Amino acid sequence: MNPYLAVSALVTLAGLMFMLPLIPAILELRRKSDARPLSVVQQNAGEIRHFASSFRDYIKGLEPTLQRCVADGTTAAGTLPDGEEYVVLGRSDEALLFALEQRDTTHPFVLVAGVDLILPAEATFSRDIYSRGQFIGGEKSNYRAILGEKNVYLGVSSRVMRWVHAVGGFTAGLGCKLYVRVSSDSLIRLQADCSFLRLNAPRIEIGGAAAEGVTTPYPSIPSWDSKISHRFLHDGDFEVQTGQVITSDIVIRGRLRIRPGARVCGSVKSVQDMVVEDGVAVEGSLITAGKMLIGKHCAIRGPVVAERELAIACGTRCGTLEHPTTVSAPRIEVEQGVVVFGTLWARESGEVVANR
Amino acid sequence: MIYVLYIIVFAICVYTGRHYWFTLNRFFGFQRHPYIDIDTADWPPVTVLVAAHNEEKVIANILDALMTVKYPADKMLVIPVNDRSTDRTREIIDKFVEDFPGRIQPFHRVAGKGGKAAALKDAMASVTTEVILIFDADYIPGAGLIKQLVAPFFDLEVGGVMGRVVPLNVSANLLTRLLDLERSGGYQVDQQARMNLRLVPQHGGTVAGVRMSALREIGGWNENSLTEDTDLTYRLLLNGWKTVYQNRSECYEEVPELWPVRIKQIMRWAKGHNQAMMTYSRCLLLGKHRATLRERIDGTLLLGVYAMAPITLVGWALALGVFYQGVAPLHGVIALLSLTAYAALGNLAAFFEIAAAARLDGTRKRICLLPFLILGFGVSIFSVSRAAVSQISDLLTGAEFHWDKTERFRKAL
Repeated sequence: MNPYLAVSALVTLAGLMFMLPLIPAILELRRKSDARPLSVVQQNAGEIRHFASSFRDYIKGLEPTLQRCVADGTTAAGTLPDGEEYVVLGRSDEALLFALEQRDTTHPFVLVAGVDLILPAEATFSRDIYSRGQFIGGEKSNYRAILGEKNVYLGVSSRVMRWVHAVGGFTAGLGCKLYVRVSSDSLIRLQADCSFLRLNAPRIEIGGAAAEGVTTPYPSIPSWDSKISHRFLHDGDFEVQTGQVITSDIVIRGRLRIRPGARVCGSVKSVQDMVVEDGVAVEGSLITAGKMLIGKHCAIRGPVVAERELAIACGTRCGTLEHPTTVSAPRIEVEQGVVVFGTLWARESGEVVANR
Repeated sequence: MIYVLYIIVFAICVYTGRHYWFTLNRFFGFQRHPYIDIDTADWPPVTVLVAAHNEEKVIANILDALMTVKYPADKMLVIPVNDRSTDRTREIIDKFVEDFPGRIQPFHRVAGKGGKAAALKDAMASVTTEVILIFDADYIPGAGLIKQLVAPFFDLEVGGVMGRVVPLNVSANLLTRLLDLERSGGYQVDQQARMNLRLVPQHGGTVAGVRMSALREIGGWNENSLTEDTDLTYRLLLNGWKTVYQNRSECYEEVPELWPVRIKQIMRWAKGHNQAMMTYSRCLLLGKHRATLRERIDGTLLLGVYAMAPITLVGWALALGVFYQGVAPLHGVIALLSLTAYAALGNLAAFFEIAAAARLDGTRKRICLLPFLILGFGVSIFSVSRAAVSQISDLLTGAEFHWDKTERFRKAL
């Protein structure tokens, strides 16, 4: 072979090999098929009520139909602009109720009720439900999403797959599985054996008997405005003694145990596991990078965050009505009688467990 | 010569291993987002500082965005730090002050030392809150961002907070697309992995926050630093405070659209970072303070990131020299190290990191541009090396650093 030709061929081949990975690059550069900025949530700010608001907007077009049905005491059915079927209830219609009352059936339509909505047991609703009156669900039912303008009651062992919002109170019966965001503008009450992920309400009560009468008072600290840093930083394990009153913030780079009846007029952080025994009061936040166990009848005013697990015993309250807060961990176990004012958020699993 | 080369190859191997460790952690490790779920709280008063020097093209956007964020209006004060602007920045800020009475308190700086750190230092006299957030003027915060950046301050160990920067003008040209990939790798993988592993997430000086008491404790802003963010990260660390990274606290920014602007930007970062390396590396690694062993090691490696560019160039030169001297250390472990050194031609581990970040971000086609990153890498390695040489020459001649502002490309409102 001609040596010049051989060299040219080699150079050309090498050049082609070099160019090969650039071909998709050049194509993408020209086509700009994936050149939009990364999607960043700019507007809704992760609001728990976002889906409920969107659903309210979604069914706004049904308002005239709903009003007519309520006024006439009739029902209506049809198709929404996006092709979803709907049923509007103006009153308890016998034929429709008969259809709804079929057990073990799936109802694949958006259900909009202008009156109280009482649903049968063991039914599955695969589309969102709107109730302008009370919502009372039967036991062992499955729901996709529920928006109630008044109180919402879920029957025993029911499940919700996406979200629930109640303008009034929300109550979940024994053993409900709430794999969703649940919000209420007044009260959430979960009975025993319920599972949950994200709850938000001015007041969240776990179990039938909420922590009324619990009197562990919050200590008082200066507000953020006038706060002067008094940070007690300790390397290694640490214990706050029984009945001790601490007037500074505490950062413990080890395990922390707060003995019964202690008062902390500040915030608490531990890098390893934290045990808060019975009757402890903390004015600020309670944060651990490990597991956290909070005993009975404690009062925690600020955010409670555990990076691994969190267990809260009966009678404890977190936040106040005037100063709502967040209780958060990947896995949370709460006993009956716990009250949280604000948000209770289990990223992976939340369970209402029997009192120990 | 061969021993110097060995040392360089070893250093490159360490950085390569670090990149792979970080990337694998993001795929398979425990992911830490401890504060992101705090959505309800008794929110503290916060001051938002907006650093602005001749920002007429962008200042209105950020002030607009800040006036609509979901944070109690009576607890948030915005202070635009107008640093000696000669364009319409002052006029635009004053218009906002009129439109939103009580919510914006302008700080018009007309004289003094140049640079963001010096301007922030002067503005601190107007700050009365425990929590301070800082944004550059070209950023556009989303509605929930302020709460997300404030939430970590409920943790008393936290002195600084850093959010994620996301380029807005991605589609402008090849440079912006490459910077989009680089940012993605830097934040989605690098910063979050350091957060996961309890290493040293870096304070970026924008989309960021700092605790006033921590700042006071470390002596305030260092006006002599070219990168006040890196400087702050290390001073907080040495004084027992943590900087945390919030990967889901994302904020749009404008990236440079011209190569000369990018080169200036990266040279400034390199100089500032090297300045911090000279100041803090010895103390961080060997000094008596509260940083953990892993923080000491990672912090030192982080300080050396920009020094690796000239070191790599020297390594290449030495490798050629060794080759022409007839030494061929290509056997055993040396062969492995040499292979890794070769990988440093484009530092493939960093490319892996960027590809992983694109995967985590759920983006698809932009990953095709990965081969072009060799171009960005080439520009960076020479620019950073040039910055290092100029820094050494400045040291010898006693010349002072000067601040180069990054040019903006958005159309003014």
